Amino acid sequence: MFLSRIVRHDLDSIDSPSSMASSKKVVTREEWERKLRDVKIRKEDMNRLVMNFLVTEGFVDAADKFRIESGTQPEIDLATITERMEVKRAVQSGNVQEAIEKINDLNPTILDTNPQLYFHLQQQKLIELIRAGKINEALEFAQEELAPRGEENQTFLEEIEKTVALLVFEDVKNCPYGELLDVSQRLKTASEVNAAILTSQSHEKDPKLPSLLKMLLWTQNQLDEKAAYPRINDFTTAALEDPSI
Amino acid sequence: MPATASGGARPEEAAEAPSASTSASVCMGTRPEELTARLVAAGPAAGAGCVGAAGGGGGAEVEHERVLALREIKNQIIGNRTKKLLYLRLGAVPAVVAALASPGASPAALVQAAAAAGSFACGVDDGARAVLDAGAVGHLTRLLAHPDEKVVDASARALRMIYQSRLAPKFDVNIGKNMDFVLSLLNSENENVTELAATIISHSCESSAEQLSLCSAGVPQKLISLFGGSMNLRDACLDSITAIIRNNRETASRFASMDHGKVFRSVVGLIHDRSPRTRLLTCLCLIALGHACPCHFQDKQIKTKLIMVLLELIEEPGQVGDEAPLALTTLIKDSLELQKQALMTNAVEKLSSHLLANSLETRRAVTILLALSELCSKLEESRSQLMSVEVSTLILEALKHDWADIRVAACSCLKNISRSPKVLSGGRLSCDTVIAPLVQLLCDSSTSVQVAALGAICNIAVNLTPRKSVLLHSGAVSQLVHLSKSMDPTLRLKSVWALRNIMFLLSPRDKDFVVKELTISTLSSLICDSEHFVQEQTLALVHNLVDGYLESANYVIGEDGMVIDAISRQLNNASAPGVCIQGMFVLANIAAGNELNKEAVMRVLLPHRTDCAKPSFVVKFLQSKDKQLRVATLWCLLNLIYPKCEASSGRVVRLQSSGVIPQVKNMINDPCLDCKLRVRMVLEHCVDNADDCFT
Repeated sequence: MFLSRIVRHDLDSIDSPSSMASSKKVVTREEWERKLRDVKIRKEDMNRLVMNFLVTEGFVDAADKFRIESGTQPEIDLATITERMEVKRAVQSGNVQEAIEKINDLNPTILDTNPQLYFHLQQQKLIELIRAGKINEALEFAQEELAPRGEENQTFLEEIEKTVALLVFEDVKNCPYGELLDVSQRLKTASEVNAAILTSQSHEKDPKLPSLLKMLLWTQNQLDEKAAYPRINDFTTAALEDPSI
Repeated sequence: MPATASGGARPEEAAEAPSASTSASVCMGTRPEELTARLVAAGPAAGAGCVGAAGGGGGAEVEHERVLALREIKNQIIGNRTKKLLYLRLGAVPAVVAALASPGASPAALVQAAAAAGSFACGVDDGARAVLDAGAVGHLTRLLAHPDEKVVDASARALRMIYQSRLAPKFDVNIGKNMDFVLSLLNSENENVTELAATIISHSCESSAEQLSLCSAGVPQKLISLFGGSMNLRDACLDSITAIIRNNRETASRFASMDHGKVFRSVVGLIHDRSPRTRLLTCLCLIALGHACPCHFQDKQIKTKLIMVLLELIEEPGQVGDEAPLALTTLIKDSLELQKQALMTNAVEKLSSHLLANSLETRRAVTILLALSELCSKLEESRSQLMSVEVSTLILEALKHDWADIRVAACSCLKNISRSPKVLSGGRLSCDTVIAPLVQLLCDSSTSVQVAALGAICNIAVNLTPRKSVLLHSGAVSQLVHLSKSMDPTLRLKSVWALRNIMFLLSPRDKDFVVKELTISTLSSLICDSEHFVQEQTLALVHNLVDGYLESANYVIGEDGMVIDAISRQLNNASAPGVCIQGMFVLANIAAGNELNKEAVMRVLLPHRTDCAKPSFVVKFLQSKDKQLRVATLWCLLNLIYPKCEASSGRVVRLQSSGVIPQVKNMINDPCLDCKLRVRMVLEHCVDNADDCFT
């Protein structure tokens, strides 16, 4: 008897006009919010997520303040974050030599064991020389430093050709490969440097927060096939939007 | 001379960067020659207590200059192979290592010198050699006990680089205080030092004695306890454990039973770790465990999981993705069961699509091709799957690639694909498309390519029977003959092997063609080659030569009997069993011929002017533990005394008096059925022939 009541309840849902349009199960906002309230999440876990984000991205002052205010321990020594951020800042402002020296002070094995990173840093150096209009120095640098990289490793040759091609054009900004002079190139190199330093410190190079959001998106997409329910479409507000019927 | 752009002191930089190095660099110049000269001139450190350094300028300033010079050199060489070689030629290494040795050196100088020394040893063999020759290892080891943590870090890192290099010095844990040293490093609080310990352990597992000592000293337990540390440390420890258990049944089974198998299970759990590198190292560890003690590794589930994880890892960027296919090759090597398992998880398909989607000019392409080759070694279905239009085209392209490694891998694929009887009957990988490029590779500049091409041709020759004309008209034979005279024994072996396969079931006219190319004198000298493997293959070649056609025996007994003399010499010289077996088969085949042939064989078995003290080798062979040798010898005897005739009877008498027949009589109860049968037949024919004598 108990069983049949439940079955009938389900049948009601299916027969109700709101779900006639599809065979998906419908969950009202009220129901959804009720279920969500039942889910327990620990404050400490949230704090660790936030700390992980701040530390990986290198927001050292924020991380320190957060540590003080929330009592959450950072996963790594904040002093190492400072050093890492100095390197990143150097690359982002175009001071590649300074960045190289700082990386070597931090851990001299990084550039020796990351040939691709070392090459990209030297490439960035050449780009900066070209940007500053120091064509003679750039030519000398290309010959003395970049050419040997190409000899040591053929996979770099194509990149070298692109970069050296910049020297040929008068209007560098608008030539093919002009995007190498963009700030975005500096950011790309900086990000590569950041990742390499994090890896050398046994820290994961990606924060956990984006993975969680990806999981959310994927889970919602999967659930979409089976049910109509309040979705989160805007991560920044996390507002529940009613299911469209 | 202007400072090179790479050195780095540009006016703008000196203004904004507060670091002392840039301003000093302007003063001292950054040319390698200058820097090296300054470093050498700075001499050994003055030391805190040194009074009145000659030539004014206090010790502190000289020390400061030394630090700056070292730092500048370090920054120029890190990552830069060309600069390393330049500084090597300038003789900078001894000066750098001397800075490590100075008793009064400041921590700053030691840190820079250690970093520079480690960098010289990284990736450059000459650099590693120079660093070792200068005695860096001793100094750096001493500095591991330095009070300044930064010096300890720098020294540990540098030693790690040295021990990871190809020229790393031998470190035997069984000698002197080496084990205590390693154990003390393992107990350090400093992760750089424990990582160094793991590296040394991985390096010093060359002999099973070392592996056992490490196991007995409790090192595996210690390594496992370090799994809770950082990711890099855990990876290094995993690698060390693999080194301890590799190919060592004892250490592997002790490891698998540690803590009632709990440790083993926790390692298995790491297969699903977040870090791809950890997953790969875990796979390598489990693969080593499985090979060293299969009994602990019955679980089919783990093996399937390993295959799946490795197939996923192929997608990873960098070194992990490059090495994953190699791990897969090691896992499935020689195992039909695992190759079947891999086939079921679509390994061939996945590897092929990855190969097709990316450039051939990568290490990954090499390792994938080798993995595909192994997958085709036993399973016909894998071979069929591999021979799609796209992949066959790619393999043919790979045969002509610039990189020797790719050519070798492609040949390896072809060798295993050619085990299939279907492969040469059409499709892209037909005789015409494959043979010509392979024959060309027989002249390749790289020996390993030649060897690999020979392997493929060997298998193709077998499967081409009976349509071997393609091979014969391709110029392969003359190339093979040429290689059979090579200085390299492997090339001789494989080329003779290929000729042997070609000779199998060949028509008389074609046999003639091959023998004319090879020449009887070359054949005779190959029978007496310095390597017994080559002798054996040559005799197998002769076996195929005389098989089937009566006239072929003339190759052996004709031309002043050069070949049969060579055979006789080998049979009398206590040669390797394989050689004797093939030799007897040749004689048996010849003895199946006419009277002339039979007598020629008799002269080998029972030479005329025997000193009776020395028994014929025939008796020795009949007494051999190797049943194949006994059978081959019995066949020879059988053919000598059959069919019944006067000459046969004469031979029986001679064999009787030389002790051969009595020996055969002793073998009535030979444990091998085949031998027993032949013994009975020989004795029956002896009686038959004897009957004749009495009539």
